[in-house]
Amino acid sequence: MTPSPAMAASDLASQPPSTAPDSSENDNIQPFYVLHKASSSRNSHRKSAARRIDLSPSKPAAAKAQVDARKAFESVWSKIHSSIKDVLRDVNTNVFNEIHSWVCQSFLAITSSGVPTFAQATRSFPIQTHTTSKQLFTGLVLIKNMEFVDDLLTFKELGLCLKSHGCHVANVSSVDILTKNGVGGCLRSLLRQFVMGNLDAADVSILASWYRELGNQNSPVIIIIDDMERCSRSVLSDFILMLSEWAGKIPMILIMGVTTLDAPRNVLPSHVLQQLCPSKFILGSPAERMNAVVDASLVRWGSGFCIGHKVAIFLRNFFLNQEGTLTSFIRALKIACVQHFSMEPLSSILGLLAEEDGEGLQGERLALSSKVEAQTDSKLALGLTELMHSQKCWSTVVMCLYEAGKYNKVQLLDLLCEALDPDFYNSMASKNQTRSGKGFEISSSSDHFMARLNLRKGGPIHQAIQKVRDLPAASLSQLLKSWENLSMDILEIYDKVKELQRMVKFEEGKSLKQDFPDLAKRHASRSPANVKESKTINDKAATLISTMIRDFMKPIECVPYHEVVCFKDVEKLKSALIGDPRRMIQVDLLEFHKFLQCSCCSKHCDVLLPSMPDTSIMYTLAQEHGDLINLHDWFQSFKTIVVNCSTKGKQRKGQQSPLPKKRKDTNENQNEGEASIQARFCRALTELQITGLIRMPNKRRPDCVQRVAFGL
Amino acid sequence: MEMAEGDDEEFGFSRNYFLAKELDGSGKKSTRKLSDIDLVDEQELRAAASNLEPKHAKEVRELMNSYRSLYPKWLFELRCGFGLLMYGFGSKKALIEDFASTALTEYSVVVINGYLQSINIKQVLVALAEILCDQMKNKRSNTSGNMPKGQQPFNSKSVNDLLAFLDGPQVEENDCFICIIVHNIDGPGLRDSETQQILARLASCSHIRIVASIDHVNAPLLWDKKMVHTQFNWCWYHVPTFAAYKIEGTFFPLILTNGNTTQSAKTAALVLQSLTPNAQSVFRVLAEYQLSHPDEKEFKDHELVKTRRDTDGQDCLYIPLTAEALGKLLLEIGQ
Repeated sequence: MTPSPAMAASDLASQPPSTAPDSSENDNIQPFYVLHKASSSRNSHRKSAARRIDLSPSKPAAAKAQVDARKAFESVWSKIHSSIKDVLRDVNTNVFNEIHSWVCQSFLAITSSGVPTFAQATRSFPIQTHTTSKQLFTGLVLIKNMEFVDDLLTFKELGLCLKSHGCHVANVSSVDILTKNGVGGCLRSLLRQFVMGNLDAADVSILASWYRELGNQNSPVIIIIDDMERCSRSVLSDFILMLSEWAGKIPMILIMGVTTLDAPRNVLPSHVLQQLCPSKFILGSPAERMNAVVDASLVRWGSGFCIGHKVAIFLRNFFLNQEGTLTSFIRALKIACVQHFSMEPLSSILGLLAEEDGEGLQGERLALSSKVEAQTDSKLALGLTELMHSQKCWSTVVMCLYEAGKYNKVQLLDLLCEALDPDFYNSMASKNQTRSGKGFEISSSSDHFMARLNLRKGGPIHQAIQKVRDLPAASLSQLLKSWENLSMDILEIYDKVKELQRMVKFEEGKSLKQDFPDLAKRHASRSPANVKESKTINDKAATLISTMIRDFMKPIECVPYHEVVCFKDVEKLKSALIGDPRRMIQVDLLEFHKFLQCSCCSKHCDVLLPSMPDTSIMYTLAQEHGDLINLHDWFQSFKTIVVNCSTKGKQRKGQQSPLPKKRKDTNENQNEGEASIQARFCRALTELQITGLIRMPNKRRPDCVQRVAFGL
Repeated sequence: MEMAEGDDEEFGFSRNYFLAKELDGSGKKSTRKLSDIDLVDEQELRAAASNLEPKHAKEVRELMNSYRSLYPKWLFELRCGFGLLMYGFGSKKALIEDFASTALTEYSVVVINGYLQSINIKQVLVALAEILCDQMKNKRSNTSGNMPKGQQPFNSKSVNDLLAFLDGPQVEENDCFICIIVHNIDGPGLRDSETQQILARLASCSHIRIVASIDHVNAPLLWDKKMVHTQFNWCWYHVPTFAAYKIEGTFFPLILTNGNTTQSAKTAALVLQSLTPNAQSVFRVLAEYQLSHPDEKEFKDHELVKTRRDTDGQDCLYIPLTAEALGKLLLEIGQ
């Protein structure tokens, strides 16, 4: 079965794929079989590279390029991924700390009632104690996502966090708490995680002796059930009862993820509820996390990988209208990334950039390291240096805008989409060419500037600037502080922010002086004159951000050489990310000519010809029926079309009329023909059944099939 | 703009649905029977079915060949940790196996035929674990150090342990994996949710990559978001082949036959062939017993054996085939 490498290469050239894998009849009816084992040369690098060359003899460099591309992808993606993980952890830090201190308190409460002796603790029946000691401290962690999948990582991280504080932690999910496996299934999962051994017997006393023997009695045992509402109710109840029986012997603390605080009451019966001593914790909102993820992965120039405007719009719509989970958003980004590396030959440079760990990105003057420069020609290297600088500026402005937009609940993803729009930038650039040159004009009015920016009214950027003009003085100086921090690396912006901050200080000093002599007059003095002054500061800030947009927020697609780092092919991403079998399989059948491109059939697949694939004929015919198709009728119309071929079709090739013609039964082997037509009908029907487009007859309707899909 | 498009689609869909309903209720409902067709003899029909000339053979071949340019991309995505999901009309069996035989030679490849009626997923896991174990042994002996001996045989390990083994840490450069090809991951033998859960967990193992095909329009309903986004991690590929579902269709009854006895006997025989001789003889005993007690004949499905509760409340095993089919089957497996 194992083809030799040389064979594989020559096979490729000579044999068509339909015959190449010569799987024997026997393999086809085996539930599974080994097609081939890994070739032994895998272990050696040189040989495996040679193999890859074998694969595509025309392009010997292709194999090496693919290895490089994969390494580049891995270093870039691992960078994106770890920064996403970091920010998500940061979002959770406060809740995690809160949970940890609650765990400590609970542990103290459990152990303060006295620790049982070893013999007591490992006895298989519970010790008689006060009922309260049977209560389980239970943390209810309220998740705010619509879909549970986004929280899987959170609970994993929570486990790790508690472990790092010395707790014993086991993560259990609804997959472990099934009716089929009973309470033994959950217990086995606990034992597997705590005791680690391969245990056949599922007994809590094992857990108890493990806890005692370990000598690690200074820390609590924590059981995290991430999706309690999806667990089997009865098994979960039994599990909790069992844990509470042993609560006196093992200091166990339960943490459960819930979507509403009513969940325990809905899921568990009252006698089980009585065993719980609940506390609640609330996780960060999905929007908060989304903003953090977009910031880490798409706005800050960290990995070097960027997406184009159309891709950003697609990702945003995919998130808002279709999937709604952060997990799917991150996965979509990963697919975009992998597509970029498999398509763009220069993308491996991106890997080198990522490996440098942002060294070249520090400080105002950006430079490519010698390693990167050595591998690229000088023109490209120069272009990339400029691109990096431009991106750095762009992301600074976007973040400054976002800081302002936060006061108006602007979402970073919306802002990003607008900031990436090359049309917006181009139209602005062409307008500016006809008017004034570059340069900061803090003194001029922000209205004037905003008009020139050609902003979409009500769009996130517009909103953010508008907010800058309306902010109260205290918030404004906070905002300027954040701008100062953000622009640290870009002197052109930094200086202007500093200048504005000095102005604010001066104004504050002035108003303070005015206010100080007479406190009673303070209220009065806040109005007209002061408000006007602070308004001019706001206006100046708005002008500043507007000029920053004009001069520094150049979308990636407007920068030369962006193709190296920027993924733009939204169609590729779409098709890899979202399969649409329901639609596409029907399109395949109805518009088969697009794929087969044969000369015998009409390009317009609605004109039925005998040469068309039988299943396509059948499915096209089915379109004329209601939701039930009478098999007899269907067969007759199929036959009419097909028979047309053997008689009429021969005389007048390519005839356009699909109209039923009277069958000329002059064939000698008519019966043979009939059998073959019936066989073709059967096979086409089977194929439609495999695709799930029709449901087969049942007892109630023995003569009809049911259509399943209506319209594309 | 996009929203409007979506609405249009929605509207189109419901309009089509009601049009179809209307067509149905317009009184012209055909009442003609399947039996009104002048059916040819079943044997003849089967012979004709197996001798059908494929249409567009050349174009189908060219279409399949055109996908070869995608092989390097597929390989790249597998290496980067994605799964590949192939869909579109036509059998994709040959295409995927061609991809595996030409582009995946340096990895072990295991094929699962999801179109079969029953598949023991645990056995698959055991086989995969054995292959991986061999592979790691080879690797170690090539470099240095030896494998810890005296392990429990994989056969006696639980599904969890097997999955844990397959999900072990990657030794070097993250590129040591076994590729599993699942033809018709939406097929009858794999369709239940438990198997899909195991397949999803399998797909997410560090030493496993998966290439699968689906044919059913509703196949995505088999998976929830966790499975799709964190476990299977699919890259979708629309690769219609228009190749005949030759093997995949074997297990479906031909609609234009009376009673389908030959077919059910044939498919049953196919399944039986893949069982151990011991299992075959158990089946034979059961079949002979059932034939000698012709009063028990309530058959529902195409499965081999079903349980039924008798009047005493005891479970009885029986084969859901007609006496005729069972007789034919006995003859076939008796040979």
